[in-house]
Amino acid sequence: MSVTRRSVLEQLAAATDATRRETTTFEALATTLDTDEPTVESHVDGLTACELAKPYPDGSVRITITGEELLALDTDELVVVDSP
Amino acid sequence: MSDQNSARSNDERDEVQYDPNSGRYDIYECTVSGCDNVVLVVGSDDPPMSCHDQLMERVMDVEMSVNSPDVRQVLLQAFGLPKAGLDICLCVIGEGPLSANEVAEQLGYDRSTVTRYLNKLVELGLLRRSELNREGGGVVKVYHSIDLERMRRETLIGFYAWAGEAAALIEEANLTKQDYLEKNPDQELPDVFWESFLDE
Repeated sequence: MSVTRRSVLEQLAAATDATRRETTTFEALATTLDTDEPTVESHVDGLTACELAKPYPDGSVRITITGEELLALDTDELVVVDSP
Repeated sequence: MSDQNSARSNDERDEVQYDPNSGRYDIYECTVSGCDNVVLVVGSDDPPMSCHDQLMERVMDVEMSVNSPDVRQVLLQAFGLPKAGLDICLCVIGEGPLSANEVAEQLGYDRSTVTRYLNKLVELGLLRRSELNREGGGVVKVYHSIDLERMRRETLIGFYAWAGEAAALIEEANLTKQDYLEKNPDQELPDVFWESFLDE
């Protein structure tokens, strides 16, 4: 099963919290999504470019407020983030 | 798809004829003398189409061929949706969320071009624009699809409205041609009748 960027975002939302700054690791995400770490890192890079994920130098990562609000929109798959 | 493909000339485009047995769509006409009612049915004809309290008849004898429609040309003509707008939709479906910069890089457009066409898609009702809070302050604009069923309905009805306008123009041209021949019984109809009429 291929892992999509959206599924990584949804897993980030399940495993972390933007307000409480709770984080997870790439390894944990890869395990939960049944994929490899480079795949997760690639998707997190994309989510970070969209300001939907926040990675830290210690290798942890969390969803952002923007990411939580995006998922709350309950949109279909077509999403483009145009940040300043 | 390249510009060349999407901009194929009419001469190069395949022609198609209405096939009453294809089941993709049906054309019905009223059989009452003097009634010009012709309808296009996409989907189930249940209950059957009727006019003047009579069932309409399915058109079975169409000799004229038409150019095979190109979806990009249809969207451009009917909705004013340029190729770039469709490219953006096709680029993002199944891949999102994508940033506007990523879309611009993948398609080879300027970032400002992507933003302009995203706003065009919003104007057409094919996308929605929302503003989300940004962690560092300010807002982030997000363009997202509307409900797919609603999008299907909007585009189909929008196309029907466009087709209705086109049909009305054809009817108008036919009437004008009749008027012209009545007023100019000794003159032959110009090769491109409506263009010469517009010059008058």
